[in-house]
Amino acid sequence: MATQDEDTLTGSVPDPETEPTAAELAHARRFAELVDKTLSGRTPPAMSADDRALLEVATVIRATHGNLELAPNQQRAAVEDALRQAIGSEPAGAGRGQVTSIAGARARLRRRAPWIVAGTMTLVAAAAIAMLWLRTPGGTGRGNPVARRAVPEEWTSRPADSLVGPIARDHAGDAGARIDAIFADRLDGFRTRRLARGGKP
Amino acid sequence: MASEPATTVELELEEEQRLVEEAQQGNLDAMRPILERYAAPLYGTVILPRLGDAASAEEVLRDTLATAVEKIRRFTWQGKSLYPWLRQIAINKVYDVHRQSKRSRRLADAMVHEIAVESDPASHADAQLIADQERRAHRDRIDATMQQLQERYRSAIELRLIQELSREDCARRLGVTIGTFDVLLFRAVRAFRKHFGERAELPRTGDT
Repeated sequence: MATQDEDTLTGSVPDPETEPTAAELAHARRFAELVDKTLSGRTPPAMSADDRALLEVATVIRATHGNLELAPNQQRAAVEDALRQAIGSEPAGAGRGQVTSIAGARARLRRRAPWIVAGTMTLVAAAAIAMLWLRTPGGTGRGNPVARRAVPEEWTSRPADSLVGPIARDHAGDAGARIDAIFADRLDGFRTRRLARGGKP
Repeated sequence: MASEPATTVELELEEEQRLVEEAQQGNLDAMRPILERYAAPLYGTVILPRLGDAASAEEVLRDTLATAVEKIRRFTWQGKSLYPWLRQIAINKVYDVHRQSKRSRRLADAMVHEIAVESDPASHADAQLIADQERRAHRDRIDATMQQLQERYRSAIELRLIQELSREDCARRLGVTIGTFDVLLFRAVRAFRKHFGERAELPRTGDT
């Protein structure tokens, strides 16, 4: 059994008086809307192959009756493109560079725009990665210099690893002893600082 | 007075020959006036009626003009306009499009079907005359196909596609609802396509 689409292109066409089926009515309406859009110069890019085949018929009829002329801007663009394409493929010196126009420049720009955007994005991404790498402490060391105050070590914030050392599994519960060791060390530093100022806070 | 148009054509041909020779010597930009002159007739009478799709037709026009510029050195001036040469390039491009898209439908063949348009080199036929002649030949084929349609279908195509009236106006003229007119146009285009395709199955002439 033929499908509806096969019928559209190859099936017999009913007489004008034949009552349309619901499917034909819907297809006819869809085609009428396509014709509407095409007549107003907004041919949709996507449509079924059958609709496209029928629309081509409509376009052929219109073109043959002179209803579809080439717009001046389309004509200019076609000529510019042709000259640019041909001259671009010419060996150096043969008429090269003699075609310069705004339309040609715009066409060139349009064609190169994706590459320009992609190139710019790549450069920005590379710069961002380089910046991140330079800013990490493990980088080349050329990051921002850190100001160091000339104060004794015991006055500064510092790791307590040297006080605690590796924690053996059987001493894992002795957190209190470790905290006491750290507290005593920090209290020593506090005392030293306090005494250095003559006992004033 | 009667010889004046011929003189004008000859002057145009002289100018065209000068531009072609300039282009053949390396100044391809000399082709610009020629391309600007012939782009519209190539599009409207050669390419679009054979493709039926405006976007593809524009692409083919660009390709045609580019090929013409690239191959201008191979062109031999024979005392007639460059237009027949451009037209043949365009027709070859249209064939390529149909081959690439693997269209097997009869309408596609019908659209590509060569309409023999002979221009006598000795008559210095103007490109516009050739284009007009070709347009007339296309129209004759369209009209002949239209004559095979039922009157209601013919009217639907004439009102909507040739006169480009709105659907509402078309429906009013035919005394039907818009929905019924949509069905009439749909069937009319289908019927046209069938008859047009059948005509294309006649032996071809002039294709190269």
